[in-house]
Amino acid sequence: MTSRPIDIESAAVVAPPRRRPRRRHSLTMKLGAGLLLFYAGVAVLSFFWTPHDPFMPGAGPSYSAPTWEFPLGTDRLGTDLLSRLMVGTRYDLGICLAAVAIALTIGTILGTIAGYYGGAIDTAIMRMVEIFQAFPGLLFAMLIVQAVGAGVVNVIAVLSFVGMPDYLRLARAEVRSRREWQFAEAARLVGNRPIAVAFKHLLPNSMGPLLAFTSVNAAFSVLIIASLGFLGIGLSPDDPEWGNMIARGQDGVMTGEWWVSMFPGIAILGMTGAFYMLGDALSDLFDPRRRT
Amino acid sequence: MKTYPANYPIVQVRGLKKLFPVGGGRKLHAIDGVDFDLQPGRTLALVGESGSGKSTVARCIVRLLEPTDGDVVVHGNSVRPLNPVRMATMYRTLQMVFQDPNASLNPRMTVRKVLEEPLKLHLSMTQDERNARLSELVTLVGLGEEHLARYPHELSGGQRQRIGIARAISINPEVVLLDEPTASLDVSVRGQILDLLKRIQRELNLAYLFISHDLQVVRHVADEVAVMYLGQIVERGPTAEIFDNPRHPYTRALMSAAPVARYGVKRERLRLAGEISTPVDPPPACRLSGRCPIEQPVCSQQRMPLEPINETHSVACPFSDRVAEAVAPPVPAAKAG
Amino acid sequence: MSDAILEIENFSGGFMSPAGEYNQVLHDVGYCLPRGAMTAVVGETGSGKSITALAVLGLQAPTFRHRTGSIRFDGTEMLNLDARGLRDIRGSRISMVFQDARAALNPVFSIGRQLADTWMLHNGGSRAAAMDKAVDALRQVHIPEPERRARQYPHEFSGGMAQRAMIAMAALICTPELLILDEPTTGLDVTTQADIMELIVDLAQSRGLTVCLITHDLGVVAETCDHVVVMNKGCVVETGTTEQIFTAPQDAYTRKLLAASLLTEYSA
Repeated sequence: MTSRPIDIESAAVVAPPRRRPRRRHSLTMKLGAGLLLFYAGVAVLSFFWTPHDPFMPGAGPSYSAPTWEFPLGTDRLGTDLLSRLMVGTRYDLGICLAAVAIALTIGTILGTIAGYYGGAIDTAIMRMVEIFQAFPGLLFAMLIVQAVGAGVVNVIAVLSFVGMPDYLRLARAEVRSRREWQFAEAARLVGNRPIAVAFKHLLPNSMGPLLAFTSVNAAFSVLIIASLGFLGIGLSPDDPEWGNMIARGQDGVMTGEWWVSMFPGIAILGMTGAFYMLGDALSDLFDPRRRT
Repeated sequence: MKTYPANYPIVQVRGLKKLFPVGGGRKLHAIDGVDFDLQPGRTLALVGESGSGKSTVARCIVRLLEPTDGDVVVHGNSVRPLNPVRMATMYRTLQMVFQDPNASLNPRMTVRKVLEEPLKLHLSMTQDERNARLSELVTLVGLGEEHLARYPHELSGGQRQRIGIARAISINPEVVLLDEPTASLDVSVRGQILDLLKRIQRELNLAYLFISHDLQVVRHVADEVAVMYLGQIVERGPTAEIFDNPRHPYTRALMSAAPVARYGVKRERLRLAGEISTPVDPPPACRLSGRCPIEQPVCSQQRMPLEPINETHSVACPFSDRVAEAVAPPVPAAKAG
Repeated sequence: MSDAILEIENFSGGFMSPAGEYNQVLHDVGYCLPRGAMTAVVGETGSGKSITALAVLGLQAPTFRHRTGSIRFDGTEMLNLDARGLRDIRGSRISMVFQDARAALNPVFSIGRQLADTWMLHNGGSRAAAMDKAVDALRQVHIPEPERRARQYPHEFSGGMAQRAMIAMAALICTPELLILDEPTTGLDVTTQADIMELIVDLAQSRGLTVCLITHDLGVVAETCDHVVVMNKGCVVETGTTEQIFTAPQDAYTRKLLAASLLTEYSA
């Protein structure tokens, strides 16, 4: 977050200056961030240009192996895989980011309220969360999607629902551990209402672990999106979502047309990997022991 | 500077009690019936060791903790029925400086933001007026405008405590509760902060409640001293009298244990037996019974109320005349608890 | 000064920052601890008083680098010792008591067990004999009901009692020639603090221990110590007998510190 200059005067004698050893993390950090930027770039590009029409069957021969014209080959219907993959980035990255943002916002707000007020409010919120979390994430997502139906908006809603409890718990724990801190008490004393203490003073000091967790959650979300797509219950089977694409290429794997499933798989692997690398670097950065 | 009628108590604390449930229906008596007044321009020091409940008193007055019983009256009005929003307005009168200036300043706020916050919440000022007030405040606490842009970790411990003080006085309160304001500071800084507090008190005619375990400091700043032991005030009186002629055995034990940085000073210690007893469901007895060198049978049978021994000095010990005898030959070290 | 058990000369060192910069914090520190006496090393936060003492035992932070100087304990150059050599001296010839005793004790073992283990480490023998020794040590530091207390765990001890147990461990279970106490009474109540200091003085006198008391509190020093070393910002500014330091301080910083301790300079 904010980089702070060090207190030279007092640090010089007491202890070595506590400078965050950023350099150590820079490689994973750069790799993760770079990869994500690449995906984002591809997603944006796909709105303006793709090599072929990603939705047009018969752009090339059926099951063409990678060639100069179709660098990643084509599928059974002869659609260009590279074009589909590029458009698919929009789905996977977009749904994931939207879901993470919603889960982070709602989870943080509810968690902060639960953590700061405690008592009956806390109990009510936590019981609710426990009910959600009693189901495994993917199973829960499948159940809801089956119930409310397919579609991008529904998938986003479901994913944020699945991710939200973790943010809530994290925010609650962070705020709780700081509720008795003197600066929170001091904030009350200058005339802040309790809600202002919670959101203006405690929450900004608790955001580090929450932000670090977004990456982990994002990686997990990508996997769920792809899993839903693979099972054919999230989006329409025609949407060029990566999980969908893998499912479409399943038959080919046995008969030698490996590329149809392989390239979407690599795309998923790359995106989850990028999020994990970023998350790893971020959680090191926000390590409580390094916070002043 | 506000003026008041003579001997006007801005804050009256009456029968204040705070019990914490500790499970099994038992209660920890953190404060067990405490009374005192705070007057403008005067400092009452609340002295005691850990577990005496002195910090809990301050927290109950400003209702960071809800008192179990008793009342806190500010300008004739009780603060206890106030809801959080009304209580927030009460903080225009009642302010507090915390012990640890590292922990009491939000690490993500610059000094400017820290000091601006109370101004924005309580006073309708233009940005220009606020800026003028900010530079006035930092000057008042002995810092410069260049400090406004800094974060707490860029300041030294003493400077942070100066900001804590500036924040407390920013909206012109009448009463400031000081919770161990120098406990986490180096000795050379301690004196400067005490000096600052005294100067501000004179300039603004503030009432101070000074909570401390540091007797040296208390002697230096207080007009009146109240000694707390296990949630009760056991002795109260003018500073000089408490230090030079302590009458309660506990006060005397405390005073005689305090080290003095002078060569050749030999302390004649009054020793208490054993360790501090538990504040959980204490029996109706003198809190010092079982440890007291001048204990009488009656001491373990009833509570000892604070009784005046002259106009200004009260002691919660009916045998306080004998306390001097207890000091004379030091108890052999083997018996020291 | 002829018979000093520990001599520190021109000791300089500092910390490496993660960025690889060297910040010197100790500047030619030199003092000695006369055998059988109590010497106080006095200074405020950042004076380098604790870093120097930790360096004696080779317990300095991993980022600490020593540049020059020597630390001789009973004629042995401590800075040349390897880990094994240091271990042989630590505990058996020099032991140390830290500020927060409850943090220094292991929370999962009983106090008696920890004392007994330490005894067995240095002396061997049976567990039963070691346990007897532990109870005996607790008794000698005036812990009431030592048999029962020995079975208790650190969290059941108050700060003062835990510090007594630490002193029992450092001074009685280990039988050192030099006992280093790093702020042993800081954070304790004044009455407890006075009791602990009396205990330390008693033990030092009855066992002929050399004691090095590291503290910021001149009040504690005045009554108990024979010699005083005053440190400021990584330098020794003045050394002398307690009487000299308190009655005729030469250095400006010493005078300032004394005045600040008594709050005389600031009387308004």
